[in-house]
Amino acid sequence: MKRPRIVVGIKWVPNTQAVRFDPKTGTLIREGVPSIVNPHDLDAIELALKTREKYGGEIIVVTMAPPGAEEGLRHVIGMGVDRAILVSDRVFAGSDTLATSYTLAKTIERIGRVDLVFFGQETIDSSTAHIPAQVASWLDLPYIYYVESIEKLELKENKVVVKRKLEDRYEWYEVELPVVIGVAMHSNPPRPISLTNKLRAVTEKPIEVWTNKQLGLDPRCIGLRGSPTIVSKVTWQPEIPRKRKIYQGNPKEAVKWLIKHLEEEKVLP
Amino acid sequence: MATKFDAIVVGAGPAGATAAYKLAEAGIKTLLVERGRGRGSKQVFGGRIYVTPVREVFPDVEKTAPIHRWVKREKISILHNSRILSLEYESPEKHSFTTYLTEFTSWIVDKAINAGAVYVDEVRVDSIVEEDGRITGIEAGGERIEASIVIDAEGVNRLLLEKLGLAERLSPEEVALGAKEVIKVGADKINERFGLEEDSGLAWLLVGEPTDYLPGGAFIYTNRDSVSIGVVVYLATAVKKAREEIYRLVEKLRLHPQLRQYWEDGDIIEYSAHLTIESGRRFMPRKLATSGLIVVGDAAGLLLNTGYTFRGVDYAVYSGYLAAEAAKKAFNLGDFSEETLRENYEKKLLGSFIAKDLRNHTGVEQIMHEVEFFEKYPVVAIDTARKLFELGYETPRIQEALRSSLKTHHINLLSFLYKMFKMVRKL
Amino acid sequence: MSSRESGNQQLLKIQRIDDLLQRNLWDVDHRPHIVVDTSRCTDCEYKPCVLLCPAGCYTLVDSKLLFSYEGCLECGTCRTVCPREAITWNYPVSGRGVLYRFS
Ligand SMILES: Cc1cc2nc3c(=O)[nH]c(=O)nc-3n(C[C@H](O)[C@H](O)[C@H](O)COP(=O)(O)OP(=O)(O)OC[C@H]3O[C@@H](n4cnc5c(N)ncnc54)[C@H](O)[C@@H]3O)c2cc1C
Ligand SMILES: Cc1cc2nc3c(=O)[nH]c(=O)nc-3n(C[C@H](O)[C@H](O)[C@H](O)COP(=O)(O)OP(=O)(O)OC[C@H]3O[C@@H](n4cnc5c(N)ncnc54)[C@H](O)[C@@H]3O)c2cc1C
Ligand code: SF4
Repeated sequence: MKRPRIVVGIKWVPNTQAVRFDPKTGTLIREGVPSIVNPHDLDAIELALKTREKYGGEIIVVTMAPPGAEEGLRHVIGMGVDRAILVSDRVFAGSDTLATSYTLAKTIERIGRVDLVFFGQETIDSSTAHIPAQVASWLDLPYIYYVESIEKLELKENKVVVKRKLEDRYEWYEVELPVVIGVAMHSNPPRPISLTNKLRAVTEKPIEVWTNKQLGLDPRCIGLRGSPTIVSKVTWQPEIPRKRKIYQGNPKEAVKWLIKHLEEEKVLP
Repeated sequence: MATKFDAIVVGAGPAGATAAYKLAEAGIKTLLVERGRGRGSKQVFGGRIYVTPVREVFPDVEKTAPIHRWVKREKISILHNSRILSLEYESPEKHSFTTYLTEFTSWIVDKAINAGAVYVDEVRVDSIVEEDGRITGIEAGGERIEASIVIDAEGVNRLLLEKLGLAERLSPEEVALGAKEVIKVGADKINERFGLEEDSGLAWLLVGEPTDYLPGGAFIYTNRDSVSIGVVVYLATAVKKAREEIYRLVEKLRLHPQLRQYWEDGDIIEYSAHLTIESGRRFMPRKLATSGLIVVGDAAGLLLNTGYTFRGVDYAVYSGYLAAEAAKKAFNLGDFSEETLRENYEKKLLGSFIAKDLRNHTGVEQIMHEVEFFEKYPVVAIDTARKLFELGYETPRIQEALRSSLKTHHINLLSFLYKMFKMVRKL
Repeated sequence: MSSRESGNQQLLKIQRIDDLLQRNLWDVDHRPHIVVDTSRCTDCEYKPCVLLCPAGCYTLVDSKLLFSYEGCLECGTCRTVCPREAITWNYPVSGRGVLYRFS
């Protein structure tokens, strides 16, 4: 029987909680800020693992990032992913979403047969949510986002039914494979790291590093040169001083108290 | 899949990481498992490490360890009623240094990895597996890995040893809680304000007001460009006598009118808390090894707290080293029995400077439990000093000043002298 | 991204525990690693956890005990001082919880 091949794209991002703003110099303080796997991408990993539990197959994680991202790849291999590809080369530096999605699309093409391509909903450090749509567009594949679950996967008939969640309703889509799927944030809380999987990540070297030697992409389409986006200005939203009223008492009274205060603050009409 | 190792070390603190390093260096196939992410991310201590025992294990410590400053000034102070009575000591020698334990531990873990140990982070070990009276491996999330020997370096919260029945559930009498803030001030400002040279540092211990007169103490250490300040309270008394939250005590220390000038324009970059052992001797498990298992570091009760010195990290490193030596012998003999491990580890440890230290200072630890010592004596000391130094018309003799202070606080002179005598003898 | 400014005037007064905890790096799990059976707390006179938890995880609301695990510093104090054995205590899994860098 044919088994699905699932690719999951993840991004290695600075842990933005730790980034602080220096009002004196107007710059970001990045000292001691470690990177993490974009948290919303772990929902995509979890959905891929659930899909593999049900239908078998293989999960390949892809990230375009500097070498330090291997730590993040070991984290998701620890969750159970089969193998990982780190797309890393100096020529990819400075990529905007267009160049990033192009590089990722070419990487996915090179992997060979792929049935499902999962991404997170958006990143915590840029949150454009461009990448999945752009990858789908480069690969000329259908794209569905805010997906919560894979309802039915029929490889023989080459189709999948997915459920997605909108603010006021659920929708079910039946689409042809392969398909690019943006997984809704918080929809699939990640499972714990397993001892044997993490051990495999460390001892069996399941991470491949692909440079542009393997990919052979036109330098005009990648990195800074392939990035038409111009950041003209970055400003900081100053912190709004919080009023900090604390209610001590029973929950029923608390609700009344809260509504009253929110009305006074004109938060509620 | 490789699910069999020669040795498994649980917990990558200074004790576990050192054991793994020494084992791997000897060509023993070693797995080091740590629950935290990356290296050292669950590590908290006060601020300084004594270098001599560490140097014996890591001869390159002075060259390659993340040393912030060499402690060249020691200060002990009593704080009460806006008055400070201090004892200061200065030395040009490099006997101890300040650092972040997170950094120091990473340094050892890196060594272990470079020596060939397999390091697995982000995995919490759920139990140490015992089969037919012999330790055979570890279990995490329902998965098992086997080894000929397991080294337990889990630290002060001995969940794993408790499960094995080798340690009792923690009781408040055995431990103290430390809470700490690290404040980034800048190297130049630290040098200027504390009057320090480029690479020299200060270790400052305080009693009285900073712990709200609870048994314990407060500490201030200067790091490269930051200051670590914190409060340690013994849980046994704190349970009954604490009047406010421990983090408020740390905050009050930070904002203390006579201390804040050192760091007040700085930024708090971390707030942490950790338990520490109150009396190493009492905390020590009945046995430090069983068939296939060796216990090291805090888990083995290797901590000395005399009120003016705090030694745990150097003991942890040294015990990790002794454990690796014992394990190496066991591999040579092909014998992992309790007798062999106790003979080669426990006996060595109990004959080492660590056990000697712990035995020597049992008396001081007893005094440290006396509430009076923290509640009344700081007040008497400050009161006496006040009478001696803050003069109006009359100039009292020391004896008079002391006597009248004792009287104000309803303390009998004889019992006071007896206690002082007892303490000096025990120190 | 937090826009908390460094070295600001705010620090000149006693910080609330939430603000102190904000200084740290976290990766909080969605599953609690500590579970408290608060039904055992009603007749506990001292409730030592409230003053001694260094992270202020135990609070009294309407004289009832409320526990939240999110700010836990994983010290083990509550487990030690609880006179009612109401606490099922463990460390977080997968490297989650607090991530110290400068301690
Ligand atoms: C206004 C603006 C200006 C920018 N300017 C620059 C610039 O000048 N130079 C520069 O270097 N960067 C710049 N960036 C950042 C860069 O464009 C993005 O970080 C990057 O292209 C990915 O976009 P994103 O983070 O918004 O991802 P999203 O589109 O929000 O990510 C959605 C999903 O795509 C996947 N994904 C995202 N990135 C990767 C990846 N690298 N590998 C694998 N999967 C991935 C993940 O699954 C993620 O959840 C800018 C961003 C913005 C918003
Ligand atoms: C407030 C305070 C101040 C101190 N000041 C000093 C000082 O100035 N100088 C000094 O020398 N000592 C000091 N100490 C003592 C010192 O910190 C300890 O003695 C030392 O850290 C013990 O090292 P260890 O390796 O035995 O344990 P730890 O450092 O506690 O390391 C144990 C490791 O095991 C991991 N672990 C635990 N359980 C598991 C599990 N189930 N699975 C996987 N991993 C696990 C933990 O995450 C941790 O990394 C202080 C302690 C405190 C609390
Ligand atoms: S372990 Fe420590 S920080 Fe966590 S809830 Fe208990 S007392 Fe509070």
